[in-house]
Amino acid sequence: MKSLITIRQGSAANWALRLAVTAIVVLVVLWVPRQGGGLITTTIEALTLMSAAMALNLVLGYAGQISIGHSAFLGVGAYTTGIMVSRWGLSPWVTFPVAFVIAFVVGVIVSFPASRIKGVYLALVTLALGLVFPYLLTWKKLAWLTGGGAGLPNADSEVATTGFDIGLAKKGKMQFFEVFGWDPFGDLRKPEAKAAFWYWIALVVAVVVYVVCRGIVKSRVGRSLVAIRDNETAAAVMGVDLVRTKALVFGVSAGLCALPGCVIAIKTGGVSPEGILSLTVRGAITFLIVMVIGGAGSLWGPVLGALLYTFVTDKTGEWADDAAIPGVLRPIFSWAQIPPADGMFAILLIVLMFVAPHGIAGTWRQYSHRVVRIVPRPAGAVGSAPTAAPSGPH
Amino acid sequence: MEDFLQRLVDGLSYGSVYALIALGLVIIYRGTGHLNFAQGEMALFSTYCVYQFGEWGIPVWIALVLGMGVGFAVGAVSEVALVRPISKKSPFAVFVVTLGLFTFLNWLDGAIWGGQQLPSSAMGSTQLRFPSLFPAEADALWNVFGVAIRQERVGILAMVLVISGLLYLLFNRTTFGLAMRAVASNTESAKLVGIRTNVVLMVSWGLAAAIGTVGGVVMAGLNSNVNLGLMFTVFIYGSAAATLGGFDSPGGAVVGGLIIGVVENMAAGYVQDWIGQEMKLAVAFLVILGVLLVRPSGLFGTAKVERV
Amino acid sequence: MNLLSVKGLSAGYGPVKVLDGIDLEVGEGEFVVMLGANGAGKTTTMRAVSGLIPRHGEVTFDGRDIHRDSPDSIVRAGVAQVPQGRGTFPELSVADNLMAGAHVRHGKAAEVRADIEKWFGVFPRLGERRDQRAGSLSGGEQQMLAIARALMSRPRLLLCDEPSLGLAPLITQELFAVLGRLNKDDGLSVLLVEQNANLAMHLASRVYLLETGRIVASGSAAEIGADDSIRKAYLGF
Repeated sequence: MKSLITIRQGSAANWALRLAVTAIVVLVVLWVPRQGGGLITTTIEALTLMSAAMALNLVLGYAGQISIGHSAFLGVGAYTTGIMVSRWGLSPWVTFPVAFVIAFVVGVIVSFPASRIKGVYLALVTLALGLVFPYLLTWKKLAWLTGGGAGLPNADSEVATTGFDIGLAKKGKMQFFEVFGWDPFGDLRKPEAKAAFWYWIALVVAVVVYVVCRGIVKSRVGRSLVAIRDNETAAAVMGVDLVRTKALVFGVSAGLCALPGCVIAIKTGGVSPEGILSLTVRGAITFLIVMVIGGAGSLWGPVLGALLYTFVTDKTGEWADDAAIPGVLRPIFSWAQIPPADGMFAILLIVLMFVAPHGIAGTWRQYSHRVVRIVPRPAGAVGSAPTAAPSGPH
Repeated sequence: MEDFLQRLVDGLSYGSVYALIALGLVIIYRGTGHLNFAQGEMALFSTYCVYQFGEWGIPVWIALVLGMGVGFAVGAVSEVALVRPISKKSPFAVFVVTLGLFTFLNWLDGAIWGGQQLPSSAMGSTQLRFPSLFPAEADALWNVFGVAIRQERVGILAMVLVISGLLYLLFNRTTFGLAMRAVASNTESAKLVGIRTNVVLMVSWGLAAAIGTVGGVVMAGLNSNVNLGLMFTVFIYGSAAATLGGFDSPGGAVVGGLIIGVVENMAAGYVQDWIGQEMKLAVAFLVILGVLLVRPSGLFGTAKVERV
Repeated sequence: MNLLSVKGLSAGYGPVKVLDGIDLEVGEGEFVVMLGANGAGKTTTMRAVSGLIPRHGEVTFDGRDIHRDSPDSIVRAGVAQVPQGRGTFPELSVADNLMAGAHVRHGKAAEVRADIEKWFGVFPRLGERRDQRAGSLSGGEQQMLAIARALMSRPRLLLCDEPSLGLAPLITQELFAVLGRLNKDDGLSVLLVEQNANLAMHLASRVYLLETGRIVASGSAAEIGADDSIRKAYLGF
């Protein structure tokens, strides 16, 4: 199959390509915070959704265990931050590792029954978990911790926010964020500075999640995951310790999924069962949709899926007001009483299963070689991993 | 004693709703081996249609029958157009498609009827509350063992038993019912005896959705209104019921639904401190988990439940 | 004119072509045997004739072209199959299995019930277990059930796919005896495929030999039985 462009791996053209892609990404990342409120908020949403979808991808895309309950883990993260900061006055930075550990433990616990229950039944159990979790938060028996239906902070809280206490005149409250004497944001009380601050937190979390996922996927554990997904019995026969591997992947997936929860709690300044949609089952379903559309079982599929989902939902959300719909599309969309995004993505999801079950990333992988093919170095060269199958002798 | 009977009857009423949803799940599972994640939302869509028929002045029982027709159509079309073609790919693809259907139908309900509860005077509804199939006024009571029981509750239970009875007759005394059982048992052999398996599959989904419609309408009646979130938890309860009863046993589905309805209501009432109204759903969750771990085939199912 | 006439039949599974243009015929009242080793394509042939898999070529039954018909209309036309591995409905009772077999004979309830009793007469062991779940029957009983079920549709042509598989020789003899009687006394046309048809050869009027998707030999039972190499390979002696 002839491609338009063929590049030899390690050649100058290859490096130029890599540099160009990196440069574009870096430029976009730096450009966003300068654009003001709306874009930053949407981008933060995309980043947290992306992190959750990447976390889910470990369990669902790679290990093939169906979970529609990851919203519970995100909720664990959000509430850990909420409780530790507003009830006990701790610093939000501390809550990230703590939330990871707690969610990790919960994930491991969930993995034990998950080992015995397969396929759609596991989906049912995790869906039930995702549905029950918000009820758990409003449970009176736990209200001393969670603040019940109203959430935190509440009248008993030590601190009036679940995020950074960016105070006004009082002493001890954070006003500037200084790193080794460098103050990148300026006065944090200003809304643009705050927004940029949260943006960078969300971005760093997303990068951390990506790096951890990549590390796992490319390791031996990652290959065990795919073996489990494709044929559990065969995997066990080949020496994969099913229970330990599943426990590990559920744990890590849960822990990673808690991190965006912390980000949300910090940014929103308050946690409550209804206030944070991502911790209800709707959130869990959204993670799954985003993951599948982007491409299950691929590292950057969820990234694309999250970006697509967030920006399209945001843009079409304005269409609730008929006047905002571009004229051509008006007859298609104006009759609907609620924004069309959910319906559109549902249809996209179904269509995708027929024509491109591996999502955007999978389709790219299938067809990209028609445009660009990167020819690997001859076998034996250290560090050369083929990105596409060679067509003939090289 | 009065409390006990009230809670029992209330539990049976909600349990009837769960039983109806579970019946739909079981019919589809037996016929095609799939779990229909969109079962609750199919029921919800037809329930919204029943509301609409009511708005147009159609009496509730006729509206129900029409709604069941809508449900049947939705189920049948879903099977033919979506599930059958995708089932050639993988169980995961089927799952995702039913999940997509779940999301799409819920969105469609909101798009057509809006996000608030209906009926609603703000939206110009002519009805005051979602119609109940049986007399639901405060004074429509019967005396049972000296306790006043609402006629509505008795009516609901009776209806579920009648539907179960009709289904039993369908499966065991009619040619088509035998064909349905044969297709569920061994699809290829069913073709070899001349059964039109495509028709059977389509009708299975249609029937399941029609029965689900009844469940949705009863639920909306109990709730006094229909809203977008009406069937989320009901779907979980229905799944718990089907799991408890055995995913391939219609009788089990009904029994499971009634048991869960009663148990959760009793638990909520008698263990108010710990469970109360908020944690009722946790009961369903624990049931599903417990059954799947201890006895995956449920109370009445056959052991080969894992069809994957 | 032949009851069943197959010309240039090709069929396969996806990219794998198993049958590569085979010709065969079954005349009215004939008992035809097709021999073939594992993987030769015997079951594929049966499934193709019954319409279970996509196929190309000519398949004519009773003068009508059925190569594009759906499985249920082929049964209605008068072709029934006893599939490989019995293919009973395991959760259904023995009686229900037989009832299901009569699916295409709707509207004739009394006749169907009479037929069921008749088969319980031919296979008394089935009659004793009429309400038992078919999945709990022994291999031989399930095979009897599968044959009876296929015959419930009163077919003119019976396709049998390796009925002796996994059965003790004594039971196999019993079954073949029944098939033989149906063929001789009731004029039922039979196409039987087997790996080792030793026990069925005396019933056959003609034999085909199938090897990797092609008919490599055909002739009367006597001719084929006389051929040494075939005897050793397929008849075990």
